[in-house]
Amino acid sequence: MDIIDRLRDIVGERATAAPAERLCYSSDASQVRGTPDYVVRPLSTAEVSAVVGLAAAEGVPITARGAGTGLAGGAVPLRGGIVLDLSGMNRILEMDLANLAVVVEPGVIQARLNERLRPFGFFFPPDPGSANFCTIGGLIANNGSGMRCVKYGTTRNYVLDLEVVLADGSVVRTGSRTLKSAAGYDLTRLFIGSEGTLGVVTGAVLRVMPLPKARRLVIASFSSAEEAGRAVARTFAAGIVPSACEILDRTTVAVLRRCEPSLKLPDGDVLLFEVDGSEGAVAEAAAEIAALCSSSSGAAAAASVAVVAGAEEMEEIWAARRLVGAAVSRLDPTKSRIYVGEDVGVPIKMIPALIREVAEISVRFGIPAMKYGHIGDGNLHVALFIDVLDEGEKARLAGAADAIHRAAIRLGGTVSSEHGIGAARSEYMAEQVGFVALSVMRAIKRALDPKGIMNPGKLGLDDGPAGVGGSGCGARADGTPGGKS
Amino acid sequence: MTRDQQEAKIDQRALELCVRCGTCRSVCPAFEVLGWESKNTRGRIMVAKALREGFPPDAGVLDSLNTCTTCGICAAKCPAGANPPSIVQEARRVLVGRGVMTAAQAGFRAKVAESANTFGELGDRLGWLSDREGLPDRADSVYFVGCLDSYRYPEVAARTFEILRRFGVSLLRDEKCCGSPLIRTGSPAETVMEENLRQIREMKAKTVITGCAGCYSTLKRDYPPEFEVVSVPEFLALHLSELDLKRLDMTVTYHDPCHLGRHAGIYDPPREVIRAICRLVEMKRSREEARCCGGGGGVRAGYPDLSLEIAKHRLQDVPDGVDAIVSCCPLCVRNLSDAGAGVEVIDLIDLVARALETA
Repeated sequence: MDIIDRLRDIVGERATAAPAERLCYSSDASQVRGTPDYVVRPLSTAEVSAVVGLAAAEGVPITARGAGTGLAGGAVPLRGGIVLDLSGMNRILEMDLANLAVVVEPGVIQARLNERLRPFGFFFPPDPGSANFCTIGGLIANNGSGMRCVKYGTTRNYVLDLEVVLADGSVVRTGSRTLKSAAGYDLTRLFIGSEGTLGVVTGAVLRVMPLPKARRLVIASFSSAEEAGRAVARTFAAGIVPSACEILDRTTVAVLRRCEPSLKLPDGDVLLFEVDGSEGAVAEAAAEIAALCSSSSGAAAAASVAVVAGAEEMEEIWAARRLVGAAVSRLDPTKSRIYVGEDVGVPIKMIPALIREVAEISVRFGIPAMKYGHIGDGNLHVALFIDVLDEGEKARLAGAADAIHRAAIRLGGTVSSEHGIGAARSEYMAEQVGFVALSVMRAIKRALDPKGIMNPGKLGLDDGPAGVGGSGCGARADGTPGGKS
Repeated sequence: MTRDQQEAKIDQRALELCVRCGTCRSVCPAFEVLGWESKNTRGRIMVAKALREGFPPDAGVLDSLNTCTTCGICAAKCPAGANPPSIVQEARRVLVGRGVMTAAQAGFRAKVAESANTFGELGDRLGWLSDREGLPDRADSVYFVGCLDSYRYPEVAARTFEILRRFGVSLLRDEKCCGSPLIRTGSPAETVMEENLRQIREMKAKTVITGCAGCYSTLKRDYPPEFEVVSVPEFLALHLSELDLKRLDMTVTYHDPCHLGRHAGIYDPPREVIRAICRLVEMKRSREEARCCGGGGGVRAGYPDLSLEIAKHRLQDVPDGVDAIVSCCPLCVRNLSDAGAGVEVIDLIDLVARALETA
């Protein structure tokens, strides 16, 4: 019996090998391409288990996918095989708030979870720009985080227990509902950030937090992004921990104004500091940050500082900020944002140096760069934008992205803070984590996935030279169906 | 030259605006029902792009492109400023130009060709008009009735014209389909459009008034800008003080038709008219955020089950305790009714007529 027929035996009409569907599952938001042979939309752990069991028996690669909003090709089936679209497994199974926990399926959208939690006074803190459409499963697979990481940490800090279908189709639970556990290896954290290379997450017990009573937003503008970076370092050195700390360089501010003309943002390179907590504490912290930004001398001082307390105005600014990544075409419709070199991170005090290097790289390669992101945790999103119909710009883009990645590593940082390695950044794994660490990762991979069917070609885990995707805009950007890698 | 006569071509720049971020996944009404990536906006743009590069247009491609209702919520949400409904429409045109189309697309072509209306009706288009005497041959304003109100909701056409006539509005003697069903599904519509244009010119009309959101959108965007296009709710709101409407003891909600709301920005006039008559409670998602009824873009004809499922999703936004759902588009009224609204679904003009009867 053909594999498609056997898949249909498991999930019925929710399995297909139709060319149009295979085409539409051949990419995420990155430049990585790989066309699946089959697409399956399971609705239960039992179905996932049966599909993975079939893949194992037949030696067919299997790639898990949430909303396909990834920026590194993590959900792209580089070697064909089966794509498991888990976005239909989207139920919130239990609200166990007495235990500060919720039980969810992997396809739950982050924002839908927070909508359900809000009336109870709780929230799930990881808050990526794609919160309105990314899935919890994707956040777990990539250890996603977002704007409030600086105080609340990453997804890793909020997963208590996972249900995972292993590479042979068996099902394992990795943790418990307790807030702490000292029972052996921490399997939960092993699977978080593993990008579907060890198993398929089919359920999660998440820890949730009480919503803060109050929030304030401090908006400060500076004469340069570098000066803004220094102000962040000064704030942290003063012992203040904001709940979010974002940079919007002047290009980003221009894009945001184009998207939302009513937004009240100052000129210059802008920092957004959010503080949360009790009413008194946030007022005090906001005043301290404002004073710190204003008090420096000369160019280091903020050109303007404003404190926003209105919930609606704050939400408008955050909503616009969430979408800015893709919005650069608003300034020039002939330019498109290409997601490469977009997620580097460095230790906080190296931020000014990173900003300086990115500016230099942008000039050297002649590729404009919009800089924004979670500067408070050292994560700078560099938005390189080009005319995609200009082959010369495309080639220079790849060089610029590579230079940005190498600069981050040289500064003691990472090529990915929250978007993942996928295929786009796998060639940097050995350089970033070291050959010994990469060998340990490969050993874990071999132990859990001896046949190498789980999302092959990702994370630099394949034996041999750890290079499959380069800067993420190389030969794989063909976009044609059937073009398996 | 009408826009419809320009060469069909999928513009590469328009396609490249999409960076596949996935924002549209969370809002596409067809995707919400169907769940496949090819049935959401991002997938459709990938399909359109692949077509440019020679991808074979099989049934999966046709289903991908033709399950779009052209509601435009993706365009409203797209951070990059892409216009997916326009891309989808253009991709349909390209395929139709090559003779590749669904049975429903072919059906629209055949029906409009043989009867100049979208239903293939051969009866009198003005059958709803009891008094044809005294219709002026020339008028500053004409009422464009549309196929749906002419043949399926003749009482709405009659009620609308009864009011408009008081203000000197006339009718086209031999109105044809506006062309919307053809244009939205990728077929040329110049035959009917030119015939309508000829009559509008002969009547020396400066304003065309219509009660159908689809006709409004088409007359406004696809016809040459020789005349002003006014929707019935705009007209009513403008003349509220002259209508002598009485208050009705009822509570209604309002469904924004996509082609009147998001596509044309007409949100306030219908609400103004409703509030002059009775209580209005907004739907859970309204105005720019309003969900599609599922009827547009040829989806009702081509994918009736999908169309009704989308309508059922929309009905979940109806607030409790309302006496009626009011809209300003016969297609929305039809689709929401067929999906089992549980309360009556009426045209704004029906509500106005009741307020006039009470008087």
